[in-house]
Amino acid sequence: MSMLSALAHLEAMESWQAIPLTEFRHRHLSARPLVIIPLTMAGEAGAPLAAMVGSARRQRTLLVVDQPRNRDQRFAFAAALGQIVMDYINSFRQDRRGDGDRSRYTDAPQILVPNPGGIKALADLGRMCRFRQTTGPYAVAEVVPEFGMWLTFLVDAAEEAGTSMLLPITGMLAEHWATGQSTLENQNLASLMAWIDPPSGVSVEQALADAENPDVCPPAGPTTSPQFDNRDLAPAIRRFDTANRLGDPQALADAESDLRDLVAEQVQPTWRMLWNAVALMRTVPEAPRAARRFERDCVSFTNYSDYQDSGPLPQRKRDAAVGAARRLGRQERALADYEADMAFDDPFVLADRRSVGEAFAGTVVEAEPGRVVTTDKNRRVPRPRIVVRTEDPLRLAPDTALISPSPTVPANHRARIVATVPDGAATLVTVEITSGMGRARVPTPGTVPEGGDRIAYLPDPGWRPTPVFPDADSMPWTHTAPPDQPDPDNAESDDAAEEWGHD
Amino acid sequence: MNAPVDDRLAALRGSARRLPYSARSLAALENNPRCTLRALLDSSGSDKAAIAERAGFPSPFGQSTFALARGNAFEAMVKANGCAELLRVLRETLQLTLPEVGYTDLNDVGGDARPEIRAARTAHLLVRAALGQGDSTLYDHPMLRLIVGGHAVFLEPDLVAFRIGDRFHVVEIKSFPIIDGQAAPAQVRSATTQACAYVIALRAMLAQAGIGPQAVSDQIILVAPKDFTNRPTAAFVDARKQVATLTRQLDRIARIGDLVALLSDGLTFDLDPDSDDRPRRPAEELTSALDQVDTTYRPDCLNHCEMAFYCRSRARANMSLDVLGPAVREQLGGIDTTTMALGLARGQLVPADDQREMTTALRHAARLRAELGGAA
Repeated sequence: MSMLSALAHLEAMESWQAIPLTEFRHRHLSARPLVIIPLTMAGEAGAPLAAMVGSARRQRTLLVVDQPRNRDQRFAFAAALGQIVMDYINSFRQDRRGDGDRSRYTDAPQILVPNPGGIKALADLGRMCRFRQTTGPYAVAEVVPEFGMWLTFLVDAAEEAGTSMLLPITGMLAEHWATGQSTLENQNLASLMAWIDPPSGVSVEQALADAENPDVCPPAGPTTSPQFDNRDLAPAIRRFDTANRLGDPQALADAESDLRDLVAEQVQPTWRMLWNAVALMRTVPEAPRAARRFERDCVSFTNYSDYQDSGPLPQRKRDAAVGAARRLGRQERALADYEADMAFDDPFVLADRRSVGEAFAGTVVEAEPGRVVTTDKNRRVPRPRIVVRTEDPLRLAPDTALISPSPTVPANHRARIVATVPDGAATLVTVEITSGMGRARVPTPGTVPEGGDRIAYLPDPGWRPTPVFPDADSMPWTHTAPPDQPDPDNAESDDAAEEWGHD
Repeated sequence: MNAPVDDRLAALRGSARRLPYSARSLAALENNPRCTLRALLDSSGSDKAAIAERAGFPSPFGQSTFALARGNAFEAMVKANGCAELLRVLRETLQLTLPEVGYTDLNDVGGDARPEIRAARTAHLLVRAALGQGDSTLYDHPMLRLIVGGHAVFLEPDLVAFRIGDRFHVVEIKSFPIIDGQAAPAQVRSATTQACAYVIALRAMLAQAGIGPQAVSDQIILVAPKDFTNRPTAAFVDARKQVATLTRQLDRIARIGDLVALLSDGLTFDLDPDSDDRPRRPAEELTSALDQVDTTYRPDCLNHCEMAFYCRSRARANMSLDVLGPAVREQLGGIDTTTMALGLARGQLVPADDQREMTTALRHAARLRAELGGAA
């Protein structure tokens, strides 16, 4: 956390109201997101209890597993949810633009869950579904493994910074607003909303107290509150089991509808709150560069979607060496790009980086616009230098490549730090401009800052080559998956045969 | 010196029954060792949940019957038929060679389940085994004693002390899943902390018979459901660091006398319950007693300490930076409250010598915010 964000949190705490941290919303927000609120059963490993799902506030479906410990019911649930999600995903596989390798869908799906726990619940569900067989013993519905693979793809995408295909709404809110509570409490959607948008006529303090009271604000999942489990849910499930055992259709129908009502009562407040949060996020203007990041989402959506059409294999349980290195590379790249993009777009984020010396801004006090150097190839190129006087606590080393979000220079302006000299409380930074000056030997007018100009710089995340790895057959044994690793297709036969849960 | 300290602790607890250290209070010991209030309440064996509730901050902890049922069923399954499943896992998953296996249940001694008796029998059998005279490999429900703050606390682990080669291993059976070889780090950590207490207790017991600490392994065997099934799998967890941490914390509690000495006379957290166990002590009086003791609140406490909501409200009332958590706190080293940080940032307060650098940074940040049109 930077000094500036810290300050915003302090102010929020003092004034009992949320303080905006950014000017823009840096995440793309789909016109038609699919909201999923997954609930799981306490204590069980990824046993789904229910999910409320829908792509509009008034268009929701509630799926409930009457006996979460029953394997068949779990997969019936997975199939029903899978069908809804797949219909949603397939609705984005219509409009395609471009030719050959560059062809891609023009829109991508976006799934919103209440909190990071929701992503974990979907990850577990994906892992549970993707290895299932649709034929043979313990067969599941056709859609289940496909759904599992898509969920895994979305969860992997969510780990990359700046993507928008699967997002926890709490993360989106906390990126934009500072509250007077900790990161841990910010993961509670109700508490976060209490700070940002308390119900009218209710103080933040009161709204916070309500948010933590499970009887007023049931938890947003994935686990339900223990009080609800013990007081309401356990007896309801017992009634269902009894009715099921006795084979009494009327009692069974009653028990089922009771359970549905109970669970609906638990998720509805979160459903409403989540859509309020979505509406709130829509009022924040989208950052200019979010569109470019969304293009990348569309590309990866298209690629995975094409892969799904070509007889896909489920994702590995654990990455092998090369896969892990690739994943890490992708994530680092995405994070660096995202941070630079945000600072480039957003004066608040830029100020944030400046407050800890990761970026700087100041006035040009000296300029040498006509400076020309001879390169190794004996070409004479313009390399103007300017000296910027800044009061920021600069921590960038000489030779750092820079980009500038200032409107006075072109967007492809590139520079590097030559030297930094302290000047009283301020710092004088000598900067050499390396590109973005046009093609001529003399810089195009207006591309080099002049004395007296205000300019800001931040580190260039740069370009990184795609890493190259050896082929599978020339991989040293230290980096291959162990040979006794069972084939992912058969690995689960053991689990499939397992009777899950017990009563 | 122990006696007066014990009297003071008993006075703090008042008329309530003394509560033993539980898995949760042991975990709190490791998570927040610096909290004086927690140290006092735990060492005096006070009922934190009841105190928090009376003070107006009912603790949100409770266990879902589902989790409870699942935990019990899993453990029963692993231990059924003389730990048949456990042995299968030890042999197949951990690839241990176990030629012959003996199983001893220490649950009661000829129908006598008093802790002292069971502890004596546990000590007798385990010391013999350590000297190579036993014939058992698995010891179920051993009763161990841990000295916490000068008091013998009985730990009744739901576990098996498992002896292979010349060493004991502590086996911890948990019902959270290990999915594709990975489990939730927080849960593994709390399981390891519990197991560490058993490692320390086991070592202390053997030390009395002159057996060195190497007789108990630092490696804990965690047994948990594999993936989404009920079949167990196992993994070694290296607990060296946590054993060292917990040992250090336990040594520290021995000095609880220093903390007690700072308290005013007559301070008590007694709830003054009536015959139906309903507290009669006025909430304000209880709160003012609690307010006399220092707390070290951290947002993380909300996950494990019953007093956390009380402490948070106190930290909020004091405008303490603790409310915002370590991310903000670390950024503002040397400053304790929001009031002070904002006062320095706005130039309303004059910084002390060691706050000068921080103040420069704060004022710079405040200026940047002012430039953006935000109030600072």
